[in-house]
Amino acid sequence: MGARGVIGAGSALAMVVAALVASAEPTPAVNIQVFQFQPSAIDIKPGTAITWTNRDDIEHTVTSGDPEHRTGRFDLRLPGRGTTTTVSFSEPGVYRYFCDRHPSMRGEIRVN
Amino acid sequence: MKKQILVWMGAVSVVMLTGCTQSMAQSPGHGTMTPPMTTTSGTKAAQLRAGLNNLFSEHVYLAGAATNAALGGRETEFKAAAGALDANSVAISKAIGSVYGEGAEKAFLPLWRRHIGFVVDYTVGVASNDKGKQDKAVSDLVGYTQDFGAFLSSANPNLPKSVVADLVKHHVVTLKDVIDAQASKDPARAYTALRTAAGHMQMIADPLAEAIVKQFPDKFSG
Repeated sequence: MGARGVIGAGSALAMVVAALVASAEPTPAVNIQVFQFQPSAIDIKPGTAITWTNRDDIEHTVTSGDPEHRTGRFDLRLPGRGTTTTVSFSEPGVYRYFCDRHPSMRGEIRVN
Repeated sequence: MKKQILVWMGAVSVVMLTGCTQSMAQSPGHGTMTPPMTTTSGTKAAQLRAGLNNLFSEHVYLAGAATNAALGGRETEFKAAAGALDANSVAISKAIGSVYGEGAEKAFLPLWRRHIGFVVDYTVGVASNDKGKQDKAVSDLVGYTQDFGAFLSSANPNLPKSVVADLVKHHVVTLKDVIDAQASKDPARAYTALRTAAGHMQMIADPLAEAIVKQFPDKFSG
């Protein structure tokens, strides 16, 4: 195997390792607990999906925008403890969201 | 008239002092060598319990003052009472925050204020004789009890949601009795109802304090 072959094999290995590392990264998660989105702000890369899990014994929602200005991008119900929902974010930007039942609950996804 | 009120207040003071004296004289530990009460009443657990009881009973008295002023059309007094009531709300949320952190404090305050808003809605419904508005406010308050129960239950597993919700529902009912009596211009019934409503708050403050102490025994020893 010549030098070019070694470099080529090295590049392929690097890509595989990168893919493995990427797949090993945990899916970003937001817990809803004690009427708070935790963490309230989260940074992700484009194409990443976020999963929300309701830890409260009451219905919450994950609704895009804020109570004064809904964007209509998503409006998902989490009817009780243990329920989850997932949203993928492909475009860079700042995505605010809130709970429609408890409008003081606010969160933010920063895709960059 | 002013003189009459002063005489009446003086008579009430004498009755109150007499009552205190009798009560102290009948106290089992009075005049004996029993240890001073501070050995138990000064613990962090006792302070927590006393503090929560004070804040919650204050909440009822200030709410009653605000609704009474509102129903009597005394705007300046209503604004002052409402301001004091909100200061009490902030103090309650800070008490929650001192145990569960700033995030919980910020989450609690709007939730707590929400039920005060529903009480205001009910009072406005009573004042305007709008049965629909009253029913909507009662429905909102009953729904709110579930939220409040869920909040405390989530913060503290020693507080079952249904139990908290029932206790808060009773708070709502007793406060509604106060407003109804105030609206019917029956001061005797209103003040009796106010005492009942304030007294009931111990049913919320005591279990809350006990559950917090159970959850954080190192922080609230004694």
